[in-house]
Amino acid sequence: MSQMMCRILPEVELKKGSNIMVYGPTFSGKSIFVRSLFRDLTSEGYGGIYVLTRDSAESFIEWLGEYYDPEKIKIIDCVTKSMLGNARDTDSIKRETVMDLTGISAKISKFFEEFWRSGVRDVVLVFDSLSTILMYMNLQTVFRFLHILTGRVKMTGAIAFYIVEEGMHDEKTIVTLKQLFSGMIEFKEENGRKYVRFVSPFKKTEWSEIAVDENAVVVV
Amino acid sequence: MKVVTGIPVLDDMVEEIPEGKVLTYWIDPEVEGNVFAMQTLFTNLESGCKCAYFTLTLSPEVVLSEFEEFGWVVGSYENFTLVDLYSPYVGMPSTCSLNADPSNRDAVDSLVKKTIRENDLVVIPISSMIDVCGEEVAELLGEWCETAANSGSRLVFTFVSWPYPGNVKKMVANRSNAIVKVGGVHHRVILGYYYGLVKVDWKNIKSRAILFKLVRPGGVRAYIPKILVTGPYNAGKSTFVHAVSTRAISVDRLGTTVALDHGHLEYRGFSIDLFGTPGQERFDPILRMLGKEALGVILVVDSTKPETFPRAKQMLEEVAHFGLPYVVAANKQDLPDALSPEEIRKRMFLPEDVPVIPVSAIKGEGVYRVIDALLELLTGSWQVSGDEFEIPA
Ligand SMILES: Nc1nc2c(ncn2[C@@H]2O[C@H](COP(=O)(O)OP(=O)(O)OP(=O)(O)O)[C@@H](O)[C@H]2O)c(=O)[nH]1
Ligand SMILES: [Mg+2]
Repeated sequence: MSQMMCRILPEVELKKGSNIMVYGPTFSGKSIFVRSLFRDLTSEGYGGIYVLTRDSAESFIEWLGEYYDPEKIKIIDCVTKSMLGNARDTDSIKRETVMDLTGISAKISKFFEEFWRSGVRDVVLVFDSLSTILMYMNLQTVFRFLHILTGRVKMTGAIAFYIVEEGMHDEKTIVTLKQLFSGMIEFKEENGRKYVRFVSPFKKTEWSEIAVDENAVVVV
Repeated sequence: MKVVTGIPVLDDMVEEIPEGKVLTYWIDPEVEGNVFAMQTLFTNLESGCKCAYFTLTLSPEVVLSEFEEFGWVVGSYENFTLVDLYSPYVGMPSTCSLNADPSNRDAVDSLVKKTIRENDLVVIPISSMIDVCGEEVAELLGEWCETAANSGSRLVFTFVSWPYPGNVKKMVANRSNAIVKVGGVHHRVILGYYYGLVKVDWKNIKSRAILFKLVRPGGVRAYIPKILVTGPYNAGKSTFVHAVSTRAISVDRLGTTVALDHGHLEYRGFSIDLFGTPGQERFDPILRMLGKEALGVILVVDSTKPETFPRAKQMLEEVAHFGLPYVVAANKQDLPDALSPEEIRKRMFLPEDVPVIPVSAIKGEGVYRVIDALLELLTGSWQVSGDEFEIPA
């Protein structure tokens, strides 16, 4: 499991089939954390599926830089299609729109199949972010969508991370979503300092302080 | 005016969608099934029917571009109407003359009815409507179906079967005169896609599953499942392929297969292609190539030759790479020194859930049991059944 993960949350072992919610306020570092984790895992040999609802595939690829390998990294871009309309799909980049949960679901499933058939058994999936979907679709609909997706993740033994913005949703939404996940990586900001911890029904770590730049998250 | 589904094989089964009828594509949430309705619409658009298409989760521009991906330029047809329930929902000006805010139930209801009265065929994404407007919208279905019956038009529903409450599913199923299930062949991942007729009330026919692929441009293409027949040298693979196939060829030299065996079989409503691989090691690349396409594997072993089991095991590992379900055919059971299937399971360390079937390929005994066992592994969801909904008598 990723070196960064080992340094930041050393006691946490993410089992295959885990669905993890990544929760915290805006700019608390959760997105960079998840992206770095994704970058680390895919460069260690994991197959990666990244669902983008806020950035285009191109900007994510730019962030990945030399780590981008279209064989290993599959992207579902839910931004470009509704803006440009004519951005073409490739084998490793599919364009969907945020409200088209069926389309997103089918594309994720297709990528799972491709990895599976080519012998890649370790897969990491990132959903960045659920909050965007929740802006357009009601909680029930998103819940049903996630029910299918988290089930598939368990079935294939992948590991999945779902980013949720703190402060954007009501209490009920968060409580409902939590039912679907096996654990949560939580971020917080206090007096200008950033912290992270892991919470699951079986485990709760202490808050540990982190520093975030645009490329990585490190322990302070 | 004759309205058809435009879907291969399906049209042979249902012949047409008669006036006033409702056909529902009942879609697995992980399968791109909307294409079925798009293909039905385009086929009839081309033959001059007045067709309308509702959108809720995609902008009109994206809908048109999705049609175009398949080569269907619907926008250029005068008999085509796009009804936009998306733009008002996201607060954008609509580019369609027919539009309504989906949160206004009455507005949606009257727009749907008007559209049904004015067209020969109307495609409505029922599940999206439920997602966006709420479950209560399912209560309107009855009146929409009535409107269709009274005005002699046809409805095509797409229903993505997310885990909705049972009564919602039942309501949609009960309103449908025909249901075509569009599903996935579930293993650990989805290995393939199929469709099949679950019910139809204007004809009396047996259901049948058809595997398909999506082709861009082109749309839904029926395809034939490929089964890989592998095993050590001289185990009886070629003999097996010939024994089960209605037609088969082998490329052999001096009694050993140097290229491929290919057999075709029509069995229980399935069209199946069997590919026998050469047993010799230098042909392993062929195996790898086929594994990317196949749906399942039959491993043939010579039950009288335990010394070949390690090689058989090695071939299984090759195949395990593709993550396909497999069965073992314990061949040459007609010979006196043949080991029993249980003995073979033990010596090969095969898990309990792997079927090991006794076979004599040369006598043709037990060979179909092998096919059955593999289909059984693959099915679960593959067989077209009405398990998800009660079909009214
Ligand atoms: N007694 C008996 N002989 C069999 C049976 N099946 C195949 N054979 C014989 O076993 C030999 C090999 O059969 P093939 O079908 O050519 O075997 P294969 O696995 O295709 O062989 P390669 O392509 O060379 O790897 C032939 O002589 C067959 O007649 C069986 O069920 N019983
Ligand atoms: Mg042969």
